[in-house]
Amino acid sequence: MQCSDVSKCYELLERILDGELGEEGREMLKEKLEKCQPCFVHVHLQQAIREVLKTKCPKQPLPETLEESIRKMIQNAR
Amino acid sequence: MSEVQRRKYSQEEQTSIFDREFMPHIDSMYNFAFRLTFDEDDAKDLVQDTYMKAFRFINSFEQGTNAKAWLFRILKNSFINDYRKKTKLPATVDYQEVETFYNSDDVDYQSTTDLRAESVRDMLGDEISNALNSLDVDFRTAIILADLEGFTYEEMAKILDIPIGTVRSRLHRARNLLKEKLKGYAQSMGYNTEEEEV
Repeated sequence: MQCSDVSKCYELLERILDGELGEEGREMLKEKLEKCQPCFVHVHLQQAIREVLKTKCPKQPLPETLEESIRKMIQNAR
Repeated sequence: MSEVQRRKYSQEEQTSIFDREFMPHIDSMYNFAFRLTFDEDDAKDLVQDTYMKAFRFINSFEQGTNAKAWLFRILKNSFINDYRKKTKLPATVDYQEVETFYNSDDVDYQSTTDLRAESVRDMLGDEISNALNSLDVDFRTAIILADLEGFTYEEMAKILDIPIGTVRSRLHRARNLLKEKLKGYAQSMGYNTEEEEV
């Protein structure tokens, strides 16, 4: 079985993954994943992308002097 | 420039708001600035400007409201108004035009199942990061705010000054574009992009 409008469906799935639909969304997701193979694949890919964005994207180290220079600027602005 | 502002907070209160509510976000702010400018010095300047503005307008900040979203909004506006002007970058692309373009179904759903979740999980941080950085700034920003910083659609709407429906559609386009970039990497690196056997 497959959803009739894949485009609308994927957008909805992404909103659910983003937590915008709360508990109701989680129920809807469960139901969809059981019924629609393309939805299942799409959700798993989207989850993987989110996961690697969150865990693997290298963080830029904060320049050591930045915090201090901001505090100085504020002091001088008073 | 004269700033007529109701003085809501005493000097002690200002210091305390600044230290407790603004400064803890400096890491996120700097990383956002760096992903906008791709330059350490520019990112530093942008964060400094943002904190300076936040301090000057501290009386318009409501204690207990979302300081991080407020700061991100100032940073994003500073980037558009000051930084882009200063460096004489070409004017920002018309959002609507871009969104209409990427709205077309052929760009949107030409390949939905040919990048495998496993391939994505195998990728290096730098590959993910490069794919993100190669997106147009508006799409890049949407992904940063949602996935790296965890803002809600409602917070994003405030930060970006756009309706929530536009947040939704922009994020959706951004994710499609990012997926296409990642697919490109996967293919060039020889990761398996064949459809999973069911």
